[in-house]
Amino acid sequence: MLRWTGLGLVLLLSSCDDLFQYNPNEETLLERDKNLTAKNIEKISRLPVTDTTRFILMGDSQRWYDECEEFVRSANRQKDISFVLHAGDISDFGLTQEFKWVNEIMTRLNYPYVTVIGNHDIVANGSATYRKMFGPLNYSFGFGRDRFIFVNTNSREYAFDGTVPDIAWLKAQLADNPAHQNTIVVGHVPPFDADFDKNLEKPYTDALAGDTTVKFTLYGHQHRFYEGQFYDDGINYHLTTSMGARGYMIISTWKGGYKVERVEF
Amino acid sequence: MKKYLLSLLMLAGLQASAQEIGLNSRRRWFLPDHTKFQFAGNIGFVSGGPGYVSRNRTLETDLLVGFLPQKFGGDALVTTSLKTTYSPWRIGLRNNYYIRPFSIGAYLSYTFGPQFDTKWPSYYPAGYYWWATAIRPGAYLGGKAGRNVVINNRRRSLELYYELGTYDLLIISYVQNKGFLKLHDIVSLSLGVKFGFD
Repeated sequence: MLRWTGLGLVLLLSSCDDLFQYNPNEETLLERDKNLTAKNIEKISRLPVTDTTRFILMGDSQRWYDECEEFVRSANRQKDISFVLHAGDISDFGLTQEFKWVNEIMTRLNYPYVTVIGNHDIVANGSATYRKMFGPLNYSFGFGRDRFIFVNTNSREYAFDGTVPDIAWLKAQLADNPAHQNTIVVGHVPPFDADFDKNLEKPYTDALAGDTTVKFTLYGHQHRFYEGQFYDDGINYHLTTSMGARGYMIISTWKGGYKVERVEF
Repeated sequence: MKKYLLSLLMLAGLQASAQEIGLNSRRRWFLPDHTKFQFAGNIGFVSGGPGYVSRNRTLETDLLVGFLPQKFGGDALVTTSLKTTYSPWRIGLRNNYYIRPFSIGAYLSYTFGPQFDTKWPSYYPAGYYWWATAIRPGAYLGGKAGRNVVINNRRRSLELYYELGTYDLLIISYVQNKGFLKLHDIVSLSLGVKFGFD
């Protein structure tokens, strides 16, 4: 009898992922919730490359789960989308539970998605969970004619200590482009924002402007659509809005050009 | 971890030595009325500590130290919690068994660690983040069943309890997202045992 009770208890414990919770800041993840960046890049790498690459930039899903579900429905109705970029602030409180909820919603997309870390994703144990669940905070991958560099730009979370964004890493990534792919740098906090390290603003924007393969760069954070050549250096900065503001962008790239469309849902 | 276990044991020892007086004696007011050990409930994988009960035995207040090993939590976390539970009704059963069918309570927990703050550092503008990451208020509903026993001429009680609880950050997430989130998404179960030194 005792043995069966014990067995039942073990089954109960193992089958109910969230029945028992031990701390808001615990970092418990199922295997299927780990290394999502690598898994999704693998999926992207198997997609066919056509003359035009179309992808979605969305962001700031923090505590807007209902709206994020509506985003997924809207995104799934779009034509010829290859993948989705999440511009950060996946979570609001940096809790593992929040990352799991957003991932649950985003896996209903008909496309793979990859993320860049936002300032809210660093709070408490957030960055540790991000590493386990998604992967490195700075990374890159190539698809067709394009190359995407994701860089942690949340300087304030590191007390503006000069390490974030990692300019040396960014420059090395920009330099490592033998196929001369178009480079698209994706961050959460744009360099003109107060949460970006003022001492690194010029090194960062100069690094982008100094690379002829960089035509535009993508961000979130300000919860508004916003774009322009803010540094008079030929680089277009595009910000997508939040899930709460019910908007996202569709970006199309082709040989020698690109287009940004705003979508509201 | 060892340090906390040791202090718990010391508390339990203190308790035992205070009980050598006999059935009708009144214990000194500052000695705890019970100790509890709890599994889960967002205050540790296991937590335990002393507590007090009101004279009419409906209101319990506990100070618990909880530990979450890295093996079960991905990060090793130590939490202290102050809990207050109100269980208004007692139903006596045969053989000194009883149930308290309904409990309602609240807690405040503090999780230790350099990555958690009670006050955000000065490099954030005022109100940049509105919550403290180290301190979590939570609430729960539950119930318990117990038995009064006499061991070595001393009155004791043993209770088992369960609690279904949640905390502020999950509640606000739920309230704003009733389409995606269901109540069971924000509520989790905890189980506990209480040793009473009546």
